[in-house]
Amino acid sequence: MSADMIDLLIKSFFETCYMVFASTILATLIGIPLGVILTVTRKDHILPNTGINSILGAIINATRSTPFIILMVAIIPLTRFIVGSSIGTTAAIVPLTISAAPFIARIIESSLLEIDHGVIEAAQSMGARPLQIITKVLLPESLHSIVLGITLAIISLIGYSAMAGALGGGGLGDLAIRYGYQRFQMDVMITTVIVLIIMVQCMQSLGNMLSKKLNKNKLL
Amino acid sequence: MIRLIDVEKTYFSDAGNIHALKPTTITVNPGEIFGVIGLSGAGKSTLVRCINLLGKPTGGQVFVDGAELTAMNDNELRKARQSIGMIFQHFNLLASRTVYSNIAFPLEIQGMSKSEIEKRVRPLLELVQLEDRAKYHPSQLSGGQKQRVGIARALASNPKVLLCDEATSALDPQTTRSILDLLKDINKKMNLTIMLITHQIEVVKIICDRVAVIENGVIVEEGSIVDVFTNPQHATTQEFARSTASADLVKLVRSLNLSATYKEGSKPVVRLSFFGDSVSKPVVSGMVKRFDVDVSIMYGNTEQLKDTPYGTLIVQISGDREGIRKALEYLQAQKLQTEVIGYEC
Repeated sequence: MSADMIDLLIKSFFETCYMVFASTILATLIGIPLGVILTVTRKDHILPNTGINSILGAIINATRSTPFIILMVAIIPLTRFIVGSSIGTTAAIVPLTISAAPFIARIIESSLLEIDHGVIEAAQSMGARPLQIITKVLLPESLHSIVLGITLAIISLIGYSAMAGALGGGGLGDLAIRYGYQRFQMDVMITTVIVLIIMVQCMQSLGNMLSKKLNKNKLL
Repeated sequence: MIRLIDVEKTYFSDAGNIHALKPTTITVNPGEIFGVIGLSGAGKSTLVRCINLLGKPTGGQVFVDGAELTAMNDNELRKARQSIGMIFQHFNLLASRTVYSNIAFPLEIQGMSKSEIEKRVRPLLELVQLEDRAKYHPSQLSGGQKQRVGIARALASNPKVLLCDEATSALDPQTTRSILDLLKDINKKMNLTIMLITHQIEVVKIICDRVAVIENGVIVEEGSIVDVFTNPQHATTQEFARSTASADLVKLVRSLNLSATYKEGSKPVVRLSFFGDSVSKPVVSGMVKRFDVDVSIMYGNTEQLKDTPYGTLIVQISGDREGIRKALEYLQAQKLQTEVIGYEC
């Protein structure tokens, strides 16, 4: 592989990192409140509200069932409105965030639902307000499980970012398609795939490690 | 301290409504340990959750320390709950927090400063003998230690009332005993009113001043533990009382084939129940000395109802008609319960 190619590979790697991490952070910021609302408005939870729960649930399901590539094209006007352009690495962050946020919301929901109802009841018996229950009980108690869920989201975003690359977003996926696939440069293709595999492995190990450290629900 | 007036609770569901608690009126006096005993599904958990409105009653009024909880808005209720501590069967500690910060939790909720919290939590750790476990997480503790943390947490906001929801049901007998001793201790030291619900008769006997027996959402019997257990009226209470005063007693009496009436030469079988002061009085030997009768003891048992010693004796009295009559009269005149079970021919 030429030196130029290696430079390009490094550049693409950082583009992927940028897309994935920026969209993870944004999607988490949107996903956490959504997931919390989805949970607490359930009918047996602390702020039951069937209306909000079913409307929000429906929106999240609709977003999640739209194929990413379609979603990306469909929201081009929104992307242009937010970023000012519909192509480029930064522009790719918008559809990535929008597709990952509902996913993270569901992950947060299932993590929060793992918490034993008795613990919530105990907090209520001490006179905790709903917001205190959310910030002092629900989120800290499920943090280790949320971390694993977000790891899962990061890994699927790495996959989606390759698709975003195909629509002018740059990154490793774009490199693999343009050089590896369209120009039959097998070495580029293989290197890209290997880099992606290593990225996923690292993220998963990091997530597992962090989650284990945060999980106090075990003896050692 | 706690007053429930016609409190009832119905759970509504598509599968049908369950009237878990029929209109119930209970008064728990200040400084008292009040027990509610019942089998599972009797409605005791529902009852205790009605007191701090964790499960809102569908009817009736709840008063704690003179204030009507059922008339409060959410904010007032949260404030009132801070002076009602509660401990649970499965402890319900926060796994992500240490022992120290679990105990600090209710104080954090009230917005207390770190230094104030420290001043409250340290003595509580000492009280429950967990000073050396302050930095541990609940998963590193035994069941008894977890419940001690639960108790310390419940006491953190200086409550006037402590509710115990099957607090010892998940513990072994020895640990149960130590938790009950701790509860007894804080009841005395802090003059804390305690209401506990349980299905364990031993718990009631060791710790309670008064007890209510609940069945199918109805309080079927209520009174001081001595009254309720020495002279149970309702079938369920008799069942509970019997389960401790040993089942062999019933078997023994049944095996005797007693007749209900006195005939010449038959020997009365008498059950004597002693409690309090009468335990130490020489009633039986007094009877033998005074009258021309012989006594053979068929069964004897003593136990403790909280601080009251309680003994049961089944004796057979033989002698002539006059002697037996006088002996029975003498027994009935003593400060103890005498029950002629039947006459053996």
